[in-house]
Amino acid sequence: MNSLTMLYEGRNLISEKPVVVIDIGRAYTKCGFAGESAPRCIIPSEFLCKSTGASKKVFDYETRDQLYQNFVEFGHILFFKYLLVTPKDRKVVIVESLLNPSLERDTLAQVLFSYYELSSVCMVPSHMVSLYTLAVPTALVLDIGYKEAVLIPVVENTPVLHAYQALALAGEAVELNLRKLLESQCKEEEQFYLKAKPLPNSTVEDIKVRGCFVTKLDRAQMIQASVKEPSVSAPTPPPDLPYPLGGDRSITIPGTSRELAYEVLFELDNDLMSIATMILDAILKCPLDTRVSLAENILLIGGTSMALGLKSRLQQELLDLLVTPQYIKKLALKKFCFHNPPAKENYVAWLGGAIMGATNSIVKRSVTREDYSKVPKIPDWADLSFNCNDGVKRG
Amino acid sequence: MAFLMYGDPKVKYLCSCGSMKPISRIYFCRHCMKIKCGFCVSHEVDLHYCSNCLENLPSTEARLKKNRCGYCFDCPSCQISLNTRAVSQAVPNPDDPSKMLSKKSYYLVCAFCRWTSREASIPDQNVANGGWPEIDCPNSKRVAELVDHYQEISLQEKDEEERKKKYQVRPSYFHYAEKYGLSAALAKKRMGGTPQRETRTQQSALVPAVASEEVEELSDSVFIEQLELNKVTTIKQRLASPEIQPTVVSQLYPLHKSLLVKRSLRCRDCEHNVSKPEFNPSSTKFKIQLSAFYHVPDVKFLTCEPVFIGKRSELIITVCNPTQHQSSFKMHPFELNLGAKGSGDAEESAPGLKLCLPECARDAQFKINGTIKLPTTEFQLLPRDDTAEFDDSNKGPTFNDDPKVVVWRRGNKIALRMAVSPDADAEGVLSIGFVIEYSYVNTMTTLEKKEPQKVKLKTHILLRPGPIFKSSQ
Ligand SMILES: Nc1ncnc2c1ncn2[C@@H]1O[C@H](COP(=O)(O)OP(=O)(O)OP(=O)(O)O)[C@@H](O)[C@H]1O
Ligand SMILES: [Mg+2]
Ligand SMILES: [Zn+2]
Ligand SMILES: [Zn+2]
Ligand SMILES: [Zn+2]
Ligand SMILES: [Zn+2]
Repeated sequence: MNSLTMLYEGRNLISEKPVVVIDIGRAYTKCGFAGESAPRCIIPSEFLCKSTGASKKVFDYETRDQLYQNFVEFGHILFFKYLLVTPKDRKVVIVESLLNPSLERDTLAQVLFSYYELSSVCMVPSHMVSLYTLAVPTALVLDIGYKEAVLIPVVENTPVLHAYQALALAGEAVELNLRKLLESQCKEEEQFYLKAKPLPNSTVEDIKVRGCFVTKLDRAQMIQASVKEPSVSAPTPPPDLPYPLGGDRSITIPGTSRELAYEVLFELDNDLMSIATMILDAILKCPLDTRVSLAENILLIGGTSMALGLKSRLQQELLDLLVTPQYIKKLALKKFCFHNPPAKENYVAWLGGAIMGATNSIVKRSVTREDYSKVPKIPDWADLSFNCNDGVKRG
Repeated sequence: MAFLMYGDPKVKYLCSCGSMKPISRIYFCRHCMKIKCGFCVSHEVDLHYCSNCLENLPSTEARLKKNRCGYCFDCPSCQISLNTRAVSQAVPNPDDPSKMLSKKSYYLVCAFCRWTSREASIPDQNVANGGWPEIDCPNSKRVAELVDHYQEISLQEKDEEERKKKYQVRPSYFHYAEKYGLSAALAKKRMGGTPQRETRTQQSALVPAVASEEVEELSDSVFIEQLELNKVTTIKQRLASPEIQPTVVSQLYPLHKSLLVKRSLRCRDCEHNVSKPEFNPSSTKFKIQLSAFYHVPDVKFLTCEPVFIGKRSELIITVCNPTQHQSSFKMHPFELNLGAKGSGDAEESAPGLKLCLPECARDAQFKINGTIKLPTTEFQLLPRDDTAEFDDSNKGPTFNDDPKVVVWRRGNKIALRMAVSPDADAEGVLSIGFVIEYSYVNTMTTLEKKEPQKVKLKTHILLRPGPIFKSSQ
């Protein structure tokens, strides 16, 4: 441990109860203490359901009451298995997505105040708070997590709300695509087996994370061309991958499946939308004189952006799209630069919350138990008075 | 049905919060004289300990060590505890090189998946416990700088605000952003004048991050080389060390074992503990354990004739007095509205802060679909006497029981016969309920009440004797 860390952590000790920072994702929850450089845990957002004995996802709910119960159950795991602190009278920072439905944030706030009796709750939008990890005022933040890829440009610390983009192009889409590929590309007897007994989600995720990668643009283009035009030959696929399924069963993951799983994120099918067009379309919606600086300050966050080869492919795609008829007249950009925050992509937003949570600005942005008991509501983050009155605005 | 327990117990008690639980899972707060359950009590961390070496740590030390044991490790590959293995090596004696000495060295090994610390290229250690090199946190310095930077900004802003309050200075450009949106904020910035400029001079010299055009290329080897699956880490192994998230097995590093906690449970109404564990981590005993089992009459299902629609069936239950005091009880019809909404005593808390049990949990539990004919008399129950079981002389007092209702008595226990019948449209499992009103001697003495108090308490009980059959052919 270097001296600076010691110094800092020493100071954190003085404040009696470190602020808790939680980012509950659709797939994984990141959770830890403000001022620390990484979350204490990144765990699946699920818990063991007492009535069925099976694991249940936190966001698997039909009614508000079920969601309330889910948050209560999951909170016990976070506080008593990982954070190991009494929740009562503690401050918490919740990192949340822009698209978080108000039902979810209101229910979470209710659980935190009424059930866990926290002293204050500070809800921060993940895209904005991610900039705390960079100390820059302007960046184009694209979060590719599990359910959706969500993009919000931030200019001079102000979110450009009307330019936001969201598409269901993230981890889940890749896994669905991989499933389809396996069911059509595996050996015939294996296809039969896969259809009769679909692989559990966790297995598909494991194949995705360990076995798949984002291929290069030129290869992707050759593969696409070969599908349309039989005279064009596809590049030699990567080697197949034998994959044990437990017991004495195993399947062979075809090289083509390994290479094509992530292509859903880039395919320009009917709607002409991919994670690359999201970026260009968002830039087009921003003021002219901010565009270069947005293109040169791209911040990719979310677990799916950690996939092997994703960043360089995205960059190639962006450059390639620039000269297509759709954009050539509209965008005068030359390069795209990516940030390297001091964190792994899947906890950048958490880290932003952890940095903010270690400063005095959370006092101002928090809703206290007392406030909440008078007006049981958390102000909407799109309410600009909440977002603009802040030190981060100056960067 | 989602909230019924598996192996659904036939008898459940209504907690003061509205949930229904078997008696083994509820508490009885002797101060409020109310039933409490795991859902509605307040949970607190009582003590931190390591499940491997059973050392317990004061909470400040646990915090310093980031809730991890300093001595024990988990396998980074499969997450079970690692063992220390010793090997002896013959080394030349430094004093007399002609003689050999046996020298012990130690490494970590997983008994389950065979992972060893040697795989992580960690040198063997000379002492059995501790001394293992710690892994560097690559980002902690930068993060600490960022925290300082933003802390400074937020303190400055606070100062400014206070000044503003004093002098009513002209509005800063944030107010433009706030009122007129982004374009106004940008316009102001282009004009170059933000009133904060001067005050920022003393700000720390943090270098803002610079994005790079260079990104890591996908290596061409992925298209050619055979991937060795067992050299690539799983996502679980990666996420077990969030800061590093090693992608290849050779980067796996032993994980300091996470501590566990024992919880104490506190009644939210009176703040008294209903459960507090003993300090000794290896003990499973409690300093305080106000299990309802020792305070509330224990109603057990004994037998029930098969239940048919349009027919009465005989149900036999037992009621047992678990206390040291004689008790009496009476049964009343189930009052459906009672306790069906939220916390029993919501009056004192604000609407948003009310502890509420989800509606769905209540609904499934309150579907009463039959009637029960309850005895109208009051029954006396003897105190619990642990020696009575070994005493066959049967010289206890006799009661003037109605043999149609009382099947038998044994010590502090009584078996009662009742008739149940399902509603005409009932299906599934028969659910019936009643209220038991019992006398309870509260031995908790307070300043005002020095004598034990005898009080009457009521508890709602739900019974599910068995499935309903359609016809009685
Ligand atoms: N190293 C990795 N390589 C590839 N994919 C990864 C990697 N790490 C995580 N993922 C994938 O990223 C997804 C989870 O990312 P993240 O934790 O950002 O999502 P989330 O926050 O739970 O979801 P959301 O933001 O949509 O609510 C999962 O689909 C997971 O499989
Ligand atoms: Mg997320
Ligand atoms: Zn309860
Ligand atoms: Zn230990
Ligand atoms: Zn192991
Ligand atoms: Zn109480």
